[in-house]
Amino acid sequence: MDKKNKISGLQVKALVITTVIGISILSLPSTIATILDNSGWVAIILGGLVTVPFIIMIDKTIELYPGKTSPQISREVLGPVISNLFLIIFLCYLILFLAYMHRSAAEVIKAYLLETTPTEVIIITMLLAISYMARGQIQDLARMALIIYPIIIGFVVFLILVNLPSMDYTNIYPLFNINFKAIPKGIWTIFFSFAGYELLYFFLPYVEDKEGALKYSLKAMLIVTLVYLIVFFVTLSQFGIHQLKREIWPGIAVTRVVDLPGLFLENLDGIVIAIWIMVIFGTIGPILYASGIILAELFKTKTHKLFILPLLPIVYIISLLPDNLFETYEKLGSILNYFALVSIVIMPTIVFIVAYMKKRREKA
Amino acid sequence: MLSKDLNRNIETLKTIFKDCDDIVYRFIEIGDTNKVQACLVYTDGLINKDVISEFVIYALFIANEGGDFNLSKFKSNLLDTISKEAMTIAEVKEEENMDKIVDNILIGETMFLVDKIDKALTLSTRGWPTRIVGEPETETVVRGPRDGFTETLKFNTTFIRRRIRDPRLKIKNIQIGRRSKTDVAIMYIEDIVNDDLLKEVKKRLDKIDIDGILDSSMLEHLIEDNYLSPFPQIENTERPDTAAAAIYEGRVVIAVDNTPFVLMVPATLGTLLQTAEDYYSRWTIASMIRLLRILCAFLSTLAPALYIAITSFHPGLIPTRLTYYLAASRINVPFPAVVEAFLMEITIEIIREAGTRISGPIGTTIGLVGGLVIGQAAVEAGIVSPLMIIIVAITAISAFVLPSYELASGLRFWRFIFMVLAAILGLYGIMLGAIILSSHLVRLNSFGVPFTSPYSGLGIEEGDLKDTLVKAPIQKLQLRPEFTFPKNRRRMKKR
Repeated sequence: MDKKNKISGLQVKALVITTVIGISILSLPSTIATILDNSGWVAIILGGLVTVPFIIMIDKTIELYPGKTSPQISREVLGPVISNLFLIIFLCYLILFLAYMHRSAAEVIKAYLLETTPTEVIIITMLLAISYMARGQIQDLARMALIIYPIIIGFVVFLILVNLPSMDYTNIYPLFNINFKAIPKGIWTIFFSFAGYELLYFFLPYVEDKEGALKYSLKAMLIVTLVYLIVFFVTLSQFGIHQLKREIWPGIAVTRVVDLPGLFLENLDGIVIAIWIMVIFGTIGPILYASGIILAELFKTKTHKLFILPLLPIVYIISLLPDNLFETYEKLGSILNYFALVSIVIMPTIVFIVAYMKKRREKA
Repeated sequence: MLSKDLNRNIETLKTIFKDCDDIVYRFIEIGDTNKVQACLVYTDGLINKDVISEFVIYALFIANEGGDFNLSKFKSNLLDTISKEAMTIAEVKEEENMDKIVDNILIGETMFLVDKIDKALTLSTRGWPTRIVGEPETETVVRGPRDGFTETLKFNTTFIRRRIRDPRLKIKNIQIGRRSKTDVAIMYIEDIVNDDLLKEVKKRLDKIDIDGILDSSMLEHLIEDNYLSPFPQIENTERPDTAAAAIYEGRVVIAVDNTPFVLMVPATLGTLLQTAEDYYSRWTIASMIRLLRILCAFLSTLAPALYIAITSFHPGLIPTRLTYYLAASRINVPFPAVVEAFLMEITIEIIREAGTRISGPIGTTIGLVGGLVIGQAAVEAGIVSPLMIIIVAITAISAFVLPSYELASGLRFWRFIFMVLAAILGLYGIMLGAIILSSHLVRLNSFGVPFTSPYSGLGIEEGDLKDTLVKAPIQKLQLRPEFTFPKNRRRMKKR
């Protein structure tokens, strides 16, 4: 009775938000503050703006080929050989992304909730739970996203409310003392926090309302940017720039400092991280789903469900390669950044340009 | 096919109804000059004897005495004459098929067979002992109608008809069950209900091939989308007003004979948390109670798991003084928190089960003794901590706040999974459980409608949250909910 496997514009918005906002929001304020000091907000805004042309390109590419999934479009646009190469690079990127997410999430959970549990156990259980979610169809992921979405908004509102009494607004200043030389580096670092929008390739073909889809995706990016800005300003005004630089996960640490009279829970950070796990799942689930879809296209099978379980050991091994959190962020993070550059900046551009030219030639 | 010989027909019936001593054969003779043999066949207990004596047999004899009922004149179409001039009963139908005759006898009609005629008359004489219409036992309201459905399908459809006096309210009867031949009525308003939904309902009902249906829950399990899930995907109610409201929303109501519970499809998480009372009380308190219900759904699922996680993994999360108190109260408890929690949860499940099976004074005694056991004695014996008692009580009571018993049972089942997960991995384990549970919930469909609507997207932009998360004043609920995809959206004139 319903339109089989269709998602609505609102669900796309929620999907983009939950996919983009994940683990990096917790470390983002300190990362950006180390590079740009108080003017980190410039990089956040610019980082959000940079994604806009790519989102538009993805949307237009899919609009050119209605009724086709993204791997099919790429095959049609680029031919089977190059298309497969692109898909494999994209798949590598997604697997790296997954490994990175799992490892850093496991480290956060270890630090705040389960001090003595081995990292391996946390990663395995997380993978198993998420594989159940990723075996669903896109409509199931979309419904899930809309259930997770209020958690993010609730988190931001909660963050503002509990911090209001103890915030020191003077910490924000100087606002406009901008180090222009550092801005490119700032954007390069922060850009990865906006990664996740590329999964629009897998969402948009299923949207009912094609015209509204772009509007909803851009709106989602606006909300993501706003959330990042709020978290940045709240942590900045709470900690001050010097302490902010020293924090690993200022996004959580900020809830530790607050102490409201009459509050039932004392250490909010544990509770916040527990609830935030849900949001992390909201990021990992669609990525694992997309990896399955790519594999299904490469091996020409009807369903992606077959490939979810075989992917798990690969992600597991890669996620355990770094020795500690620092290596995760530095090594895995930087390799990931290069892969991200190729798969979410360069490849969408190539696909869009070739697709556009082809369609023009067809018309002429 | 019937034969022309009455005795042959009766013999056939008697072979079919061999050893069925509740079938009664009453021979009479009609006509004044040419006497003709006739026979009434019916099932004892399913018919109203007064009707047969007064409006069938007596009426036939009166017609004889008056002389105007001369059989010889009407040899050509005797049965027609009898039904038109002699019978004083409301519903009379001709029937010639033997199988149909057998069926009719079994549903409580009386068959009137006449010698030398290969047709029979079906006289509607149905009447059997019924329960008095009483207040529904499960969904009571402080204010609102107090009549409840009963076991008789005819009464139940009447309750709906009395609330929807519209010719476009359709009540379609079908029979399900090879042997039980249970009457099932499908009710909907023609110009509101979505055609695809209706088609799907009929398709699924037609597919059923079973020997007997005893209760609407059996039908529910046979037609729902995912029969393995612990959660119900079809709503049921004992209240005619709730069923009528569902029909007005564009849903399809399925009533089954012999049960007071009717089914409403599609059902969503939103509708399973609504009660009739919400619509009869003022919107402020109704909204508050709806939010409370959602809180209770979480509490009844998670409270014991949270207790386990916090006491055994994260004592630092709660205020220090509470931690001290908790540690002090648990100092005599010889078990880890998970054993303590399981012990108490299983105890309360036993008490609940015993209390449900036995009603009346013994049930009260069980509750009293059970309450004493888990309340005081267990604490004094040092087996459990007082806080655990509070948690168990809150959990059990929260489950009763949920209007849908089936939904509460599904969550009850998950409560134990959450407890195990919390015992292994603490809060992280609970979140793992949450992700698996919600992945399962979002996959469920009820007749093609996402079960988690409206929280998962369908209808949010159309304003369905106004009547699920909270309850807006009736002036603000001008549109029907979106999840049924109604043909006619507006139910109130724009103001």
